[in-house]
Amino acid sequence: MTDHTIRRAGRFALAMALATTALTGAAFAQDCTTKIGAVLPTSVDWGKPIAETAQFVVDQVNEAGGVQGCKIEMILRDTQVDPKVGVDAAKALVDLDGVQVLIGAVSSGVSMPILTSVTVPAGVAQFSCCSSSGAFTALAKEGKTKGLWFRTFATSNVQAVVGAKVAKDKGYKSVAVLYKNDDWGQDIGKLVAEHLQAQGITVTASVAINDAQPSYRAEVTEALAGQPEAVYLALYPTEGISAVREWLSLGGTQNMILANSLKSDEFRDAVGLQYLGSTQGTDTSSPRVASADAFVASYKARFNAEPNGPGLANSYDATMIALLAMEAAGKDAKGADIAAAVARVTDPAGTPVTADAAGFAAARDVLAGGGTVLYRGATGNVRFDENGDVSAPAVIWSFTETGTQEDTYITLEEVDALVGGSN
Amino acid sequence: MIGLLSYAVFFSTVASILAIAVLGLNLQWGFTGLFNGGVVAFFGAGAYGTLILGGTPQADHLGGFGLAYPLALAGGAVAAGALAWVVGILTLRLRHDYLAIATFGIAVTFENVMRNAEALSGGAKGFRGFERPLRDLFGDGFAYNLFFFSLVLTLLVAVYLFLERLVRSPFGRLLRAIREDEDAARSLGKAPARVRLTSFVTGSVIIGLAGGLYATFYAFISPQDVLPTLTFQIWAMLIVGGAGNNRGAALGAFLIWGAWTASGWALSRFAPVEAQLYTGSIQYILIGSIIVAMLLWRPQGLLPERLVLSQSGQPVKPRQQGA
Repeated sequence: MTDHTIRRAGRFALAMALATTALTGAAFAQDCTTKIGAVLPTSVDWGKPIAETAQFVVDQVNEAGGVQGCKIEMILRDTQVDPKVGVDAAKALVDLDGVQVLIGAVSSGVSMPILTSVTVPAGVAQFSCCSSSGAFTALAKEGKTKGLWFRTFATSNVQAVVGAKVAKDKGYKSVAVLYKNDDWGQDIGKLVAEHLQAQGITVTASVAINDAQPSYRAEVTEALAGQPEAVYLALYPTEGISAVREWLSLGGTQNMILANSLKSDEFRDAVGLQYLGSTQGTDTSSPRVASADAFVASYKARFNAEPNGPGLANSYDATMIALLAMEAAGKDAKGADIAAAVARVTDPAGTPVTADAAGFAAARDVLAGGGTVLYRGATGNVRFDENGDVSAPAVIWSFTETGTQEDTYITLEEVDALVGGSN
Repeated sequence: MIGLLSYAVFFSTVASILAIAVLGLNLQWGFTGLFNGGVVAFFGAGAYGTLILGGTPQADHLGGFGLAYPLALAGGAVAAGALAWVVGILTLRLRHDYLAIATFGIAVTFENVMRNAEALSGGAKGFRGFERPLRDLFGDGFAYNLFFFSLVLTLLVAVYLFLERLVRSPFGRLLRAIREDEDAARSLGKAPARVRLTSFVTGSVIIGLAGGLYATFYAFISPQDVLPTLTFQIWAMLIVGGAGNNRGAALGAFLIWGAWTASGWALSRFAPVEAQLYTGSIQYILIGSIIVAMLLWRPQGLLPERLVLSQSGQPVKPRQQGA
């Protein structure tokens, strides 16, 4: 035996000893670990903070003692915003790591194939912070998500329903709808027409407005033909200005209802405030609740920055609700049980809990006693409808000399009532 | 254990689908020397075509023809072929890098059309697929994935055997003749333009078939599936596996897709927590390095093209390594 091999053997023994110590050390620190999966676009600049926020939640919950007495380990996989990569990562998390909860993805184009080909077949609960496509609602309505899909991102439905409310409150009997001809515009245009009709208001026309046309005379004439008392505009400022100028010059009504996309000084100045006196707009709003402020404060304390990126509050809530639901569902719960338990932690009649470690600990006690919890999250009191969608508070606004003013604040409860009432 | 098996089947399904696409590109580039920089357009045409033809009626866009699955899949492949025919007539007079740029432009155009033509493709929100074929028989779980994998594998083998026969036929020799020296081929009375077009369309039909299988498997397609990244991935598979060798092309698909997914898995498992957020970037570096290393040290690919010297009347051909 040479000197060399002896040294190597010695080093090996040392490594073994170290490894053993490390293992036993770990065993003392925690009895068990529950894995959850996250598939988020960490290789994209705006995706990284979303993932950091999810990890932040996991750290807070572990600080509060974990879920069902077990530490949570979040295995984070990058989607690279590539559906193939995201689906493969999700499948690996489900099959190899046995996760029952999946956080993600951000893009609808990644979340959807994960949902249809991984989580639904495997019965895993999926929570997305930011996927906005209406395709998810359609899928859920057909029962094909099996109730396993949740997202904490409000859909266009909130604005559409509030737009219909404005029309009803003002007593309009007939409304024409002009919408931008893209995915957002088509979605909201369709929704607002449905909600108007549900309120008993006649929709005289729904007209698509394409980008960058020199004139919208044909479209405006078509919309005017039904002689509507008001017009709903889901347009961006550039086309909105041209279309509204032609609308007014052809004798169209000044009773306008605007989506938040027209909440711009450019639009007001180009059209002229004197024509916008009876115009009101809608917008979704960040919640006016203490829990939202608490999230901002704790985020600042942790990351030393404002949570201004897209989807951060949504990511926080998606992760926290997932973990609360795991706690509510009990030990070794399957994805379907966890999905079913979401209602127990977002129950409007439940005990309110805050969005932090203390809130999680409080929720654990309530849930252990068989009670239900109302999670007051970073985006307010989150509540999912039967399709896994959430709503958000809304505002009705109008233009002023200097900008816009808020006319009405509609709380989440009122929005829910409106959405529920018109369905 | 069942988890590992289940994942292996899932992985192999995706890798096999990609392998079919790489085989299609191999016919174009490996055997005919056509630099197709727009692989994703033909892949996407197959994917959208299959879903439009086989889908159930949807409120807001084209589709809902509800054709039987084999017809829908074939229709998708034909759609890819039709696109290739039009593109080919317009661009195949271009050589090498010019053809690459033109086809790349076609792919970007394709993606933008799919993103905006709501009535055709569902626009940015994507196109929902149909129930996967024979789902009622196999359910939703592992059994179904196993069935679908065997379907994909069968098609992969069929495409492989077809191409092997094709490139060994006189037509295959003609392809290589055009690749090596078009003028010489023309001087022998051949019509390179027509042969190039035939090869381009055939390769694109195969790529479209892969697209159709892909969309069926995920039951969803959106403009995000047809970004230029996919073209790059398929090219990387061909370069690493070995252009001009069908076995190499299929091997390359499994290796590169394996490296792509395994590096993500390994990083998520073994990288320290602080590095977790950067695994995406590290992964790009790793995969880029593999490709650079291949190009530096083994530019002919892992399985290089086998030079076939044909002699009339001799069924067994002498082979020689290296190109």
